[in-house]
Amino acid sequence: MNYSRNTSSIRVLTALLVLLLLTACALTLPEPKPVPIPAERPLDLVGNVNLIQALQVPSESSLIEIGVHVFGTAQKEAGEYKIGDWVFDEIIQKETQFLPHLLKNTLVASNQWGAIRVIPEKDSSLDLIVEGQIIQSDGETLELQIHAFDSSGREWLNQTYADQSVQEEYPESTRFTLDNTFDAINFVDPFQDIYNRIANDLVAVRTSLGEQALVDLNLVTDMLYAGDLSPNNFSGAVKENADGLLVVDRVPALDDPMMARVADMKYRHHLFIDTVDEYYQTLYEDIQPAYVLWRRYSIDQITEIETSQQEANRSDYGGSSGFLSLSQRYDRFKWSKIFEREFNDLAAGFNNELAPAFLELNSQVHGLTGTMEQQYREWRGILRRLFELENGDLTPGATE
Amino acid sequence: MLINVANRAHKLCQGANSLTCIVAALCLTLSLSAFSQDSLPQLDLDLPLRLDFSGSWEKDFRRSDNWEDELSRTLRIRQESATRQQSSPGSSSGRSALPISIGNVNLPRSRGRGANIVDLARLAEYISRHSILDIIQTRDEISIERNGEAALICGVEYKLQQTFANEHGVEVCAWEGQQLIFQITLPDDLIIIHRFTVSSNQRVLNLLTSIFSKGGEPFNLIQAFNKYEAPRDEFNCIQTLSRGQVCSQAGTDLSTVLDDF
Repeated sequence: MNYSRNTSSIRVLTALLVLLLLTACALTLPEPKPVPIPAERPLDLVGNVNLIQALQVPSESSLIEIGVHVFGTAQKEAGEYKIGDWVFDEIIQKETQFLPHLLKNTLVASNQWGAIRVIPEKDSSLDLIVEGQIIQSDGETLELQIHAFDSSGREWLNQTYADQSVQEEYPESTRFTLDNTFDAINFVDPFQDIYNRIANDLVAVRTSLGEQALVDLNLVTDMLYAGDLSPNNFSGAVKENADGLLVVDRVPALDDPMMARVADMKYRHHLFIDTVDEYYQTLYEDIQPAYVLWRRYSIDQITEIETSQQEANRSDYGGSSGFLSLSQRYDRFKWSKIFEREFNDLAAGFNNELAPAFLELNSQVHGLTGTMEQQYREWRGILRRLFELENGDLTPGATE
Repeated sequence: MLINVANRAHKLCQGANSLTCIVAALCLTLSLSAFSQDSLPQLDLDLPLRLDFSGSWEKDFRRSDNWEDELSRTLRIRQESATRQQSSPGSSSGRSALPISIGNVNLPRSRGRGANIVDLARLAEYISRHSILDIIQTRDEISIERNGEAALICGVEYKLQQTFANEHGVEVCAWEGQQLIFQITLPDDLIIIHRFTVSSNQRVLNLLTSIFSKGGEPFNLIQAFNKYEAPRDEFNCIQTLSRGQVCSQAGTDLSTVLDDF
């Protein structure tokens, strides 16, 4: 009896304390910001685009060599980060390494160009560099900022491309199981229209330039590469014209032995970057099934959120505040949160699954160390030193 | 790296005078200290230190509120308060504290009176059925896992953090001293506040759940949890996208398991 009286007085005291605590907390907690509602950005969609393919191989001057640089990402503002966002950042970082490969494949399929390679760093031995930035990428939307410029500094493209996919563009084989394997050969990327549009736009720019400009471009590239290998010997070979473009100032003789050595180095260098490109190809083939499955989950989630939003807009809970209505409100919140958490887990799972493939990519080139980008820089340094040794150019600082 | 440094010092000492040997030893010591500094994790002093909530916790039913008893007690207090008010009509009733305002959250809301205390009490019981909490806490983040419920995750920063928001509700979290608070705002001004406190010896954890409806009086439910030693998992598991959970026996390197697929 005494025990129960004591217990009830403790409970009354606790209740009073709780009341005081609540008063205190409500007064001292800072005022939170309103919920940010992301504004719908209007997207300029590329629509359905057919790739312009050359039936015959174009003239030799048109076969310019293209380097598709590993993409970058748009920087988020500091306040835009939420707990758990790093998982999705990691996915975008991975996409920067293999979306360029899809663009490269499209350019190859167009049959309009010379060698096309995915490169981890800018490369002075190539005529045209295509850079990209991923602005948005999920199962439904892909938005890329593409910047293409040639070795003379001429801008070919600088614009944003966007495309949206629908559920039907993800065939059943993308939800693969042991019995239902992923059909990589017949799979068409849901955002293929973007790559087709970029490839067609590049062809349009090339056509507008004319034959002579392409011949000149090729020469500028050669001289720039020579200058990159041996700045002392080729420093004044190119100059800037009135339009701000680089042009060849001193054309070397056709039988210049130095140029023959440069050509030899360029050949070795291209063998190396072909190998690097193959690693990106292997990376893409390794991860494509998981990547497509990830995008499929992503579009499923977006569809689910849209449905859920429509339901929420329709539902006013009948103005009821009975237990059933309260518990329904709580359950809807709870399940939407659990659903989001599961999606985050899938995203983390995707990163886990891809980790070995990326590790493999970065440890491919034997004898060189570091990431693919570091190995690439190291290789260019080796070539430069080799060139100087062969030409007896051992001026201090020349190798830098 | 350490082996390299040691080998070099040894080589220098062989056949060299004592001064060279001392210099080599000094270099070795400096290199070692530099190496050990490199391997230390960097402490971010901008982040506040929080009490340790981590571990496995089981509900102590004896020390936790029984929702029906708590409801009876709340009703009795209200009745007594109403009686006092009737006997002295001039006095104003003390209002309870309102929860945190989270601005225009664009959640559907309707006019009218809030839910009655019985329904709030039943909801409090409904959302407090879990008897186990698993808390993982790092230097940056705390994650509270509850069976059948969405995890509550918060950073350790000073500022108020919005952890989840959609048309079904908004969740924010904040630290008040060493207390961790989550506030969930649901449509129709239904607000749930969870307030976690842990004893200084980290053996007892208290969870106060308060539910408000349309700014009315809250229903409060206190649950106490005791720390227990959960058995160690026999398997290390990692989530993958296409293969689900990939597990290996504890102690095996999971990267080799992933490579095997």
